Amino acid sequence: MSIVDDRPAPADQPEEPTNRPEVTYRLREWLARPYVRPILAMFVLFCLLVIPIAWLVVFFMNMSGAPASDIMSEIEQTILVFTIASAPLMSITLTILLYSLFGWGRVTGDEPPMQESPAIRSNAIGSYLWIGATSLLAAFLVIWGLLALANITASSYGSVSANQQPNATKAIDINVTGQQWVWTFEYPDQGKISSDVLVVPIDTPIYFNVTSVDVIHSFWVVELGVKIDANPGAITNTGVTPNKLGNFNIRCAELCGMHHAYMETQIQVVTQEQFDSWVREMGGKRTV
Amino acid sequence: MTAVIHEQEAVPQPKQHGKPGGFLRHTNIVTGVLLGVVLAVVTYVIGGLLVPWGTENSNFSQVGESALVAATYAAWVIGFMIGIGAFAGPIRWWLGHDLTHADTEYLAGKDQGRGKYWKYTTDHKVVGIQYLVMGLFLLGLGGLLAMWIRTELGATWTEVFDPNFYNSIIGTHGIVMVIAMIIIAAGPLGNFIMPLMIGARDMAFPRLNALSFWLLFAAVPPLASNLLLGGIRDGWTAYQPLGTQAPVGMIGYQVCIITFAFSTGIAGVNLITTIVTMRARGMTWNRVPIFVIGILAAAIMGLVWFPMYQYSQVMALSDFAFGSAFFIPQNGGSVWLYENLFWLLGHPEVYVIVIPATAALMELMVVFLRKPLFSYKIAVAGFAGVVGISSLVWVHHMYMTGWSPAANYPFMLSTELISIPFGFLVLVMLGTIWRGKVWTRLPMMCVYAMLWNKIVGGITGVYLSDVPVDQYMHGSMFVVAHFHFMLMGAGLFGAMGAIAYWFPKMTGRMLNERIGSIGFWLAFFAFQLTFGSMFVAGLQGQPRRVLQFDDAFNVSNWLSTIGAYLIGVGMLIFLYAIITSWRSKVIAPSNPWGAKTLEWQTATPVPLNNFPVLPVVTSDPYDYGVPDPYLAIEKKLSDENQDATVGAR
Repeated sequence: MSIVDDRPAPADQPEEPTNRPEVTYRLREWLARPYVRPILAMFVLFCLLVIPIAWLVVFFMNMSGAPASDIMSEIEQTILVFTIASAPLMSITLTILLYSLFGWGRVTGDEPPMQESPAIRSNAIGSYLWIGATSLLAAFLVIWGLLALANITASSYGSVSANQQPNATKAIDINVTGQQWVWTFEYPDQGKISSDVLVVPIDTPIYFNVTSVDVIHSFWVVELGVKIDANPGAITNTGVTPNKLGNFNIRCAELCGMHHAYMETQIQVVTQEQFDSWVREMGGKRTV
Repeated sequence: MTAVIHEQEAVPQPKQHGKPGGFLRHTNIVTGVLLGVVLAVVTYVIGGLLVPWGTENSNFSQVGESALVAATYAAWVIGFMIGIGAFAGPIRWWLGHDLTHADTEYLAGKDQGRGKYWKYTTDHKVVGIQYLVMGLFLLGLGGLLAMWIRTELGATWTEVFDPNFYNSIIGTHGIVMVIAMIIIAAGPLGNFIMPLMIGARDMAFPRLNALSFWLLFAAVPPLASNLLLGGIRDGWTAYQPLGTQAPVGMIGYQVCIITFAFSTGIAGVNLITTIVTMRARGMTWNRVPIFVIGILAAAIMGLVWFPMYQYSQVMALSDFAFGSAFFIPQNGGSVWLYENLFWLLGHPEVYVIVIPATAALMELMVVFLRKPLFSYKIAVAGFAGVVGISSLVWVHHMYMTGWSPAANYPFMLSTELISIPFGFLVLVMLGTIWRGKVWTRLPMMCVYAMLWNKIVGGITGVYLSDVPVDQYMHGSMFVVAHFHFMLMGAGLFGAMGAIAYWFPKMTGRMLNERIGSIGFWLAFFAFQLTFGSMFVAGLQGQPRRVLQFDDAFNVSNWLSTIGAYLIGVGMLIFLYAIITSWRSKVIAPSNPWGAKTLEWQTATPVPLNNFPVLPVVTSDPYDYGVPDPYLAIEKKLSDENQDATVGAR
């Protein structure tokens, strides 16, 4: 039995024979290898890096304003969860890449190195661990995503018109029309008034019927987390309940020609009284 | 027992008609371009007499103008292919003038010096070099357009370009880069290296091989000309019906894609047949180098899915030039039909780009680590899984279209599922790196760069596969950063490593690694800056494909632009290294890396027949390394433990 290795032998020699199971021996032997503990330490350290990264992600997302609807809160929460959940994968990759550059030895020179590395053709435990962990991670993310999607679909009123929702007392239908390069908002229930700025009352379910008269646009209310394509020849539906007063951004998220960049407007979330007076000002009639 | 010896009948040889090569002795790229241009001009002039000039249709454009331009482009492609000699083979066949041995050798470019690179040459090594140069040219063109884009986005205080021209630039940059990335690994390496690697004398269909390259060549001028003819204006996806508003430059895009799809289909058939039927004796499926498996996977995906893209462009061209209404809702068409057809290829195409690069790096990392590939079977399973699931994920590009909200659930599942076979590939690469003494040469450094980019691109891809997250991210700069990490970070940096690794075999010169490394690392770190800050812009809510935006996004765009210029400088340095090394007088040894795959076992430059005697394979090519010392210790421990347990009893 020849040990072809210039590394120091494992520090922990086996103790007095006991009838402990073999797996303990193998684990102890593995942990005693000179490269294992640094790698574990690096792994944990890089995992911790996720804290500042997650903070930065949320910080950047909130730079133009905190979430103004349940949908956006749900989206932000999902992004946060995904960031944290992906940390181990990111960390193990970074750890192995960096450790390999410095830890297991390097050869330079023009000639192929004479010294060869250990011939590891497979490792059942490692493979099972990796495949198991990534599958579990994927399963967790899928389940989380499906639940979050179900939640969002519920908060955006699925595909049932706002007037037919169970809580339809105060719901407002708005017809959104994209055209090169403006948005038009029509309030069919408020006497068909139309406006190029979206004004909605707070805490009221808003239901959007979105369409386009020319090419594909995408109706994106940034801080409210609403996005749906405005397709010519079809009406798509979505909805939201704004829960914060203020002015937020509406942008077009699908290239729609020359002035796509300027196809922006604002959504003003106001109180019910302000909304009513705005409707009167626009010449519409009050919500029945 | 008597043995009957049958005398072998003489195989009838075809008759030699004229000098070897026949018609193809007179054709080359010059005759091709000339005939293409002449035929295009003739078509335009004659067609112009037929078109009722002055009559405008409801869109205030000339009736018949689009059809005329389409016919002109088609005439260019057909004329070029006639002029280069692509139809000589079928015509000879029809006349009964079968190719003799001397003809075949002429077609393969025997004794023609450098002229063979400009002709319809069938030798796979010539086609490989042609693909390499074409790929580098397209990368240069796309890179130049990228610099223009970043200039516009960095100049936050003004419009540098006309908005329509800017939209044309982003579209042309996108499609040029997609074509370049599809061919940059699979083209040169799949054609030059792969047949050598499996111990074949050439590809299965050498003339189809030449055809696939020259079709690609014919497809590029129509695409490039779109910038002069009003541009494509709606991104590389060319979503309809915006496409129908574009000027006639749009037709250049469509003709390019239709032609290019023929090229990839032919190349795909050729690669698959070669891999399946022409492996050396003894190269069973579990001894095939992993790069060959990667090429096979990419060729299968391209062959199956490229026709979808081709159909979509045929239909769009029909809408544009002939007034049909596949995609025009006002006349009864559907915009969602286009999106579905487009993304049926559009997503597998990403894997067509990333998988050959990944497989090439797997192939070369074992050489620099002097270790066998970790778990060959998991790698194959990973490729198979990606190929299989790739056909079921395209709707994740359409989550927000409203096409079918209910379909978002299953497609979210399948999209996140594909991260598992992708994880297999990462496992194989990390497992191969594990405990290896690394020989720090440039190709190996690309492995590190690529793995990092791929994990960032992969994880952000999981974000985007999630519908709620996509509801915020879709159509934002986050998406742009993500797919650049995947296509450029994993695809291009991987291809750079692969080219650096096989450079000595392909060109007979060693790549100047000192200069090459400077360019590579500069490009790598600048890449992190460019697309890292683009992630930030996306998180802040900047839509993509805009040329003006809120002041809130200024800082990240400035950083991104600085990074992009640095990438440009890095890539130019890398290109300089390639060109100067190629022109250098120092000849590379035939196996500079001490690798064990077959392509390194033959001479450099590779002789016309590749191998003097066809090799016979007796093991897989990953026979590196020494016995694992820890295994001995483990065994000892386990034996002692066994003894102790027995003793205790």
